[in-house]
Amino acid sequence: MVPISHILILAGMIFALGVVCVFAHRNILMILIGVEIMLNAAGLAFVAGSMRWGMPEGQIFVLFLMAMAASEVSVGLALVVYLHKRKRSVNIDDFNEMKD
Amino acid sequence: MASPITWILLLPLLGALFNGLLGWMLKRRVVETVACASVAGSSVAACIAFAGMGNGTDVVLYDWLSAGGFSAPFTLRLDAISATMAVMVTGVSFIIHLYSVGYMREDEGFARYFALLNLFVAAMLLLVLAGNLPLMFVGWEGVGFCSFGLIGFWYSDPANATAGRKAFIVTRIGDVAFGVALIWLFYLTGTTDIAAINAAAPALPAATATYLGLLLMFGAAGKSAQLPLTVWLPDAMAGPTPVSALIHAATMVTAGVYLLMRMFPVISVSSDALAVITTVGAVTAFYAATSALGQRDIKRVLAYSTISQIGYMVMAVGAGALSAALFHLVVHAFFKALLFMAAGCIIQALHEEHDIFNMGGLMTRMPTVFWCFLAGALALAAAPGTGGFFSKDEVLAATLGHGGALYTALWALGEVTAFVTAFYIFRVVALVFMGGMKKESAGLPARLPGTMVWSLVPLAVLAIAGGIINLPATWGGSGYLSGLLASQGLAPHAEAGHGWAVQAVSAVVCASGIGAAYYMNLINPALRERLAARYADLNDFLFRAWGLDALYYRLFVTPFGNIADLLWHRVDEGAINRALDGIGDGLAWTGSMMRLSVTGRASTYIMATIVGAAAIVLYFAVNGGV
Repeated sequence: MVPISHILILAGMIFALGVVCVFAHRNILMILIGVEIMLNAAGLAFVAGSMRWGMPEGQIFVLFLMAMAASEVSVGLALVVYLHKRKRSVNIDDFNEMKD
Repeated sequence: MASPITWILLLPLLGALFNGLLGWMLKRRVVETVACASVAGSSVAACIAFAGMGNGTDVVLYDWLSAGGFSAPFTLRLDAISATMAVMVTGVSFIIHLYSVGYMREDEGFARYFALLNLFVAAMLLLVLAGNLPLMFVGWEGVGFCSFGLIGFWYSDPANATAGRKAFIVTRIGDVAFGVALIWLFYLTGTTDIAAINAAAPALPAATATYLGLLLMFGAAGKSAQLPLTVWLPDAMAGPTPVSALIHAATMVTAGVYLLMRMFPVISVSSDALAVITTVGAVTAFYAATSALGQRDIKRVLAYSTISQIGYMVMAVGAGALSAALFHLVVHAFFKALLFMAAGCIIQALHEEHDIFNMGGLMTRMPTVFWCFLAGALALAAAPGTGGFFSKDEVLAATLGHGGALYTALWALGEVTAFVTAFYIFRVVALVFMGGMKKESAGLPARLPGTMVWSLVPLAVLAIAGGIINLPATWGGSGYLSGLLASQGLAPHAEAGHGWAVQAVSAVVCASGIGAAYYMNLINPALRERLAARYADLNDFLFRAWGLDALYYRLFVTPFGNIADLLWHRVDEGAINRALDGIGDGLAWTGSMMRLSVTGRASTYIMATIVGAAAIVLYFAVNGGV
């Protein structure tokens, strides 16, 4: 049996990678990927907890999480396509209209 | 068909409503006719009501105020005092209305003028006929409002508007005292009905009655321009002259005396209050008569003379001689309206000349006005046989007959005042009508409309013959007015018979006053010049009416202005505005600082979100969970 701490450390590392991915890139696609990575790291932590205490709720949560991530990606990608159509760019710093 | 008592009040009110609402689109003639006719009708109704008065009647029109134990129905009460007042008010007002038609013939604001004039009469009649104190207070305030509107009638001149405001504010000070007395009386007796309060009055403790008497006196002092609230009346000259006649004769200033007469049973419980009232009356009479000596403006002379004559009435109330007070009130209304209207004729004829030292020799040029003015002046100076003689004599005899050192001293003061009165009014007669025209540049007197000149005549007859309504036994009369009041139990005791002695003193005083004025102003003007030069300070002191106005300015108006200035500049602008501005500026600065963080770059926001989330996680990690 893998100790829960190992799994949590792994989940933390994946989450950190996701975070770095989100704010190191200017590309919207890479940011979306970073968000996905963070979501999955959180899902891993849920599964670990579910295993440790023998309760199914964590796994059910992960199922919801996957569904949510899938729908989020579809909406997010649709937005990216739309944004790219408007400005021929996927650089997030080009979209600063909210400031004005 | 309502009783005539209702019509007395209703007709001027309807006239005021009609002229006030529709007057602007009607022809001048229509407005004038409606205004005069409504007061004429009211006057007829008053005479009918007077004749059919019996022992006094009440008319309850409807339930006006009613809450718990407090009730004030709309009651009109007609008894000897209010009926006499109503007849006098409507009669004199009618003549003043007629005169106004002539006087205001060129003024464009005639609709507003006649509406206010009618409303003034209606308010005064409500005050007179009111059966309970709250209703009387409505009339009381209505009179105050109309005087404000009419004194400041030519409001485009700031001085006139200020005079209107001054009258309003000064009388309001007295109204506060009346209001307190009203509520206190209700608290003590549980009723607002005047007759019921008076019936309950003997049971009041003397100390309470003293305070009530003083409060009522102070309220009356506001309306009747007694000391210390005299200052508004001379300035009330700013209005059109018929308004001065109306304020000074028929309405407004007599309201205070009327209040004291109505509430006499309450006041009379306390001999202290009576002594104060008599003293105030006598001192005011003396003060105003001397002030009249120093005036140059003919209307201001008459204004101070009004204050002085009202002082006599107050004195009579203080001495317990209600019928004397009412008698003098009625006769004074006749001759003072007459004097004011005659003065108005003179002023218009001389193209708005007010200064008596610029007038002269009008006796031959305006004979009708001269004879009428002379009649009024004789009545004011209390020349034997005129109405003013009998009424003033009754006042003085009652004061002397009251007994005691104080009352005797006040009687002596009253006689001195009578001398001064005769002197100052015949000084006006001598300067205005006799001698030569001082200022030829004023040109010949302009022709005046007949309504102005001829409306003086009936008043002149009344001023001379007014004594018959209460002729003393020594002149073969029966004292009709005194008898009427006594028969209804309104006058507390029959006045002592007036011997020839008091009358003789009054006659001598009057004759010497007239003679002195004649001598100094016509036979030996050099003496007057010499005296005026030697006593220039005294003259100035009297001209400024003993400096009372200046004193009030120093004591109240200037400090009030300073406080207002302080509150405006230092507190409002300095503290409150600057504090609010400071808060606003601070918020604006904070906002400008915060705005630096809004870069518009998504990466910055993502970074901020992550740093924030990390901080939250760190917080829980350090503090050990939720």
